[in-house]
Amino acid sequence: MTVTHRPSRSEAIARAEARGQRIAAVLPYHYPRALLRAHGFHPVEVWGPPGVPRDEGGRHFQAYTCDIVVRATSFLLRGGLERAGVLLVPHTCDALQGMGSVAGDFLQPSQHVLTLYLPRAGRPTDREYLVAELRRLSDRLAGIAGGRPTDAGWADALAAEEAADETLAALYRDREALAVGDREFYEVVRSREYLAAEEFVEAAAAVPRGTAPSGIGLLLSGIVPEPMSLFDHLAEAGARVVADDLAAGARRLYPPSDAADPIERLADRLLGSPPDPTRGTPIAARAAALAGRMAAAGAKGMLIYDVAFCEPELFDVPLLRRHLGDAGYPVAHVEVELGGELGHRVITRIEAFVETLA
Amino acid sequence: MTAIAGIGIDAGSTTCKAVAVDPSGAVVATALEQALPRIADQTAAMLDGLRSAHDVAPGARCVATGYGRRLVECADRRVTEITCHARGVFDDLGRAGTLVDIGGQDSKVIRIGPDGRPADFVMNDKCAAGTGRFLEYTAGRLGLDVADLGGRVAAPGSEEQITSTCTVFAESEIISLLARGAEVDAILKGLHRSLTVRLVAMVRTVGWEPPLMMSGGVARNAGVRAMIGEALDTEVIVPEHPQLTGAHGAALLALEG
Ligand code: SF4
Repeated sequence: MTVTHRPSRSEAIARAEARGQRIAAVLPYHYPRALLRAHGFHPVEVWGPPGVPRDEGGRHFQAYTCDIVVRATSFLLRGGLERAGVLLVPHTCDALQGMGSVAGDFLQPSQHVLTLYLPRAGRPTDREYLVAELRRLSDRLAGIAGGRPTDAGWADALAAEEAADETLAALYRDREALAVGDREFYEVVRSREYLAAEEFVEAAAAVPRGTAPSGIGLLLSGIVPEPMSLFDHLAEAGARVVADDLAAGARRLYPPSDAADPIERLADRLLGSPPDPTRGTPIAARAAALAGRMAAAGAKGMLIYDVAFCEPELFDVPLLRRHLGDAGYPVAHVEVELGGELGHRVITRIEAFVETLA
Repeated sequence: MTAIAGIGIDAGSTTCKAVAVDPSGAVVATALEQALPRIADQTAAMLDGLRSAHDVAPGARCVATGYGRRLVECADRRVTEITCHARGVFDDLGRAGTLVDIGGQDSKVIRIGPDGRPADFVMNDKCAAGTGRFLEYTAGRLGLDVADLGGRVAAPGSEEQITSTCTVFAESEIISLLARGAEVDAILKGLHRSLTVRLVAMVRTVGWEPPLMMSGGVARNAGVRAMIGEALDTEVIVPEHPQLTGAHGAALLALEG
């Protein structure tokens, strides 16, 4: 069964422009959507894009910089982000921090280049720091938009984005009662990367209910499931993703906050996201959370599917493997480049891993 | 004549192998050819050859494995070479342990559980160093036949150090060593050492458990066997037909449906 029509990325951009919003191109992956919306911006995420060659972007970084940063820079230089008025680069990792500096100080594109420094160490001062950082971002956006959001604007933005976040959480909660394969499921999850909150809620509501297909349960970890044919290969091997720890997926299940101040509310939610290597979560805590998630979902092992040269991910892999192995969960790790279809060898590794779990 | 109940085809990057087994798993027939570019045609012809020379039991099944497994049109099922090699060597040698399989394009170390299934594995698939191609390529540069390498390396004598871990750079090192007057056998020893150092690291990564077994064409190379055994202080056990291990495992899996 397939999901009914969703607006494409370009349709979503055109609709946002027709609503009078400006486009904010946003690099991965934690950022305050409601803050952008309140200031009149529609966020469209840039995860590469995979099809763009590395050449132009590659001139500005070391050869071992990940595809997301290099291809996104190529895309920027090729004019792929022309419709965006703002380029928001969160400080997810050193590579993205580098991209923020290269774009802002050196390339100086037509877009306003904004950065967002996210706290990483889980210190008591994190909240105070992040609130100040979000206020700084709000000031910059207000300067670009020519005014600050009204109370009603804030209320609308928070309500819409929180409803969409709750819809995303419900999709994960109800996974076993959704009659779609992994590819369709993650196409809907990932449509949050470019759809407006209301469009996303509509797209999620269109997912047919029933029973999820069966298969050997896997937890899929990593940054982004590109190419999406990964899910076809997993299905062919007899596996199914019953839980994930993807930057483009469940790492962005933000908990609610009851703070009255909009910016404090956003900070609380961002800080409450699940354990995450880019936020400096201690490895034992992350492994325990993943083991718990696997037990709850019936996963038999974890596949770490990384973008090549992704530093924060790679740091955790050996210890994660050890901790989860001790907990009885085998772990396989593959690295891919975002340039095309999966190679034979990566497919063999994945299939062999599934065979060991059968 | 015993009828064939299961056929395994291992469509590898350098050779294509087929093994047919009877209902008890005993080998009825084998075939081994250099791999041709048209894998579908080659494997269909191999299968026809086995079928015309032997009785085939009704419902006999075929499992394909190896690099070209997707292109084996006559296969009822496709299984990775990791699972097939584990199954094949488990049947040949009758025990769990750790298997080093050095293929033409990649090498794998598989820890085999007590049920003959892979418990864990590591693959070197990013670079030709650590694979059979490394030896083939460098032997070619020295004007030697790859089949002669093992004997020369196993014989006593001095050893040159090859520091490059890359096949292409190793070639430049060979050229400069030859220019300096180094002996060919000493260079060969160095090349084998460079290959086995990588393999031993992989064996350690997988958390190996004895016995240590080897499959694939390179398992015939006495020099590689000796160096791996020496580094891990263990005996290296090789089945009678190490190149057929994957196809044999695939044939046994075919019996299981
Ligand atoms: S893939 Fe890894 S290194 Fe690249 S931008 Fe994402 S987090 Fe940073």
